[in-house]
Amino acid sequence: MRDNLAVMMKDVVKRFKKVTALNKLSFKVPEGSVYALIGPNGAGKTTTLRILSGLVKPDSGEVKVLGFRMPEEKEKVRGRISYLPEDAGLYQRLTGWENLLYYAMIYYGRDRANEIAEQGAKISGLSKKDLSRKASEYSKGMARRVAIARALMVGSELVILDEPTSGLDVFSSYRIRRMVREYVNETGSTVILSSHNMLEVEAICDYVALINKGVIVAEGSPERLKENYGGRNLEDVFISIVGEGS
Amino acid sequence: MSLYPVLWKELKDMLRDVRTLAAIALMPLIMMPLLGISSIYAQQLQPGVVVVVDDDKACGSIGNILNISSSELKTQIIDALRNGGYLVITHEERNNKLVPDLKVVIPRSFIANLTSFNRTAVVRIVKNVASSKADQAVNIVNSVLAQYSRKVSEAKVEYLGELSSIKLRPDSVLNPILTATVFVGPQGGQVSYAESIRIAIARLLAFSLIFVTTPSTAYITDSVIGEKERKTFESLLATPVPRWALIIGKILSTSLVGLITGLADAAGLILFFTLPSMTYGINMFGYITPSLIATHALAVYLSVLASLAIILPLVIRSGSYRVAQTFSLIVIGLASLVFFMALYVDLDKITPAIVRYILYAIPYTHAVGMIEHIVTNEFSLVTTHLIAMLVIIGVLLWLSLKLFNEEKIIYSKT
Repeated sequence: MRDNLAVMMKDVVKRFKKVTALNKLSFKVPEGSVYALIGPNGAGKTTTLRILSGLVKPDSGEVKVLGFRMPEEKEKVRGRISYLPEDAGLYQRLTGWENLLYYAMIYYGRDRANEIAEQGAKISGLSKKDLSRKASEYSKGMARRVAIARALMVGSELVILDEPTSGLDVFSSYRIRRMVREYVNETGSTVILSSHNMLEVEAICDYVALINKGVIVAEGSPERLKENYGGRNLEDVFISIVGEGS
Repeated sequence: MSLYPVLWKELKDMLRDVRTLAAIALMPLIMMPLLGISSIYAQQLQPGVVVVVDDDKACGSIGNILNISSSELKTQIIDALRNGGYLVITHEERNNKLVPDLKVVIPRSFIANLTSFNRTAVVRIVKNVASSKADQAVNIVNSVLAQYSRKVSEAKVEYLGELSSIKLRPDSVLNPILTATVFVGPQGGQVSYAESIRIAIARLLAFSLIFVTTPSTAYITDSVIGEKERKTFESLLATPVPRWALIIGKILSTSLVGLITGLADAAGLILFFTLPSMTYGINMFGYITPSLIATHALAVYLSVLASLAIILPLVIRSGSYRVAQTFSLIVIGLASLVFFMALYVDLDKITPAIVRYILYAIPYTHAVGMIEHIVTNEFSLVTTHLIAMLVIIGVLLWLSLKLFNEEKIIYSKT
């Protein structure tokens, strides 16, 4: 049963030795939406995304991704999701095109690899000439565009992006936001992302969850959160919930 | 199908690192023979100086059989040293500022003592201990003196025979015991001299495997820890690529590169030994058979695979370059121990048996066994060692798969 939910986490706990990263964390992500996890550093955003990707095992609680129980059914989930970690790199000695082709082969085999990589090239917006250059010659923005295109091109039902625009300039961030929004509009897939950029979250997300100290402290659409907390923007909401310098 | 993308990427990634590959593969092929040849030619470039002094200036004879003189011996010593590339100065030519590597003195009464039947003649040798050329010069002088001594001994024996009217053969007096060596193989059958040389070469080849493990362990460390540090591993681990394909793909690709570098190292070592020996007219290549080359290549490849299979579970668990390099050093040390032992010891004959069984648990022992048994045509033992090595590698790969833990890889400190 999918219940029209792409992700469901209930009372999830994850500890690393004495540190509790997630403390009975619960939230649901509707299918076809763009869902953002925002929160201060160390709040548990990356741990949450890693659990959803099947890379980290929760200590307790219930996790369902695309209707499959995690981590028990992670093998079934892996072909249906794409995950882009924060600062994910490219293979420096491969060209941009070859970086796309590698993931296309992993998801679709050799027969369809070229077709899928072409799709990736289109999503990235980079020219053929740029894609034929080695990734070691790319600027940070170009590398990030290829990495995101690599995650989006495989047509996953769920795309998980950890701080996709972190450290990028205004133009690169804008391009990436547009790439993500267009992808969701065209495919109807679900995107769950983490971000520190409130402008980005307001611009492309349907739902926002504010996570602090391993628990969700507020959740809803950006408009609803602003309304509930009387903020002009999400940054005001964030400060009013988490507190300055928290 | 799942294996292909990993192999494709890993090989592309490694083969594009042309500078490192070329350095690792070509350096031993150039440096090792250069080292061997230079060790010979450098000796020739260094002038060795020997002073030969004849203080006796006397003649003598053994009956009517042999006439000898100190000047004749002096001439023979000077000729031999000059043929060996030494600058020889006689007493008369000597410059006092020149410190010779060696001084050879034929003292007074030398000929009188040499021709006598109750005294011994002495040649005095003064050796400069700081000179690397002195030892070689001593060997040349001793060789001349041995030949001269033999000639005088034979004459003395012949003369004594004449005096005593006994029919004497000098050899039966001077060398009453001779040895006659017959070479036999492990089954006791007679083998040729060439085969005995081949067995010695097999030991050398087994020893050359010592260089095989180093480059491959560096490559697998880079393939796992490097991928983590370059931040490409986490997103790859979230893809549907099976863990077995990741492990086998990384091992196969690094083993191919390891094979190239390993063979280059082994070839370099063989050249190091053979080129200098060829300058002395000994052709070691003539003793190497196609089956020995093929078995050696297989042993090299399996040793590389074994190194990777041992190091991979440790690398996967360690997560850091420093720890992985420490583990690599342990593996290289273990391999070196076996390959070094193979140079002097028959690993299959070690007692007590427990030591042998411990050695059998180390995959490198079987690589040595394959090479050493192929030259004696013991094909069943070659096969046994081959199967044992494959089984150990298989178990280690299975262990890698069991130890593969994404969470540990992601959170381990680099």
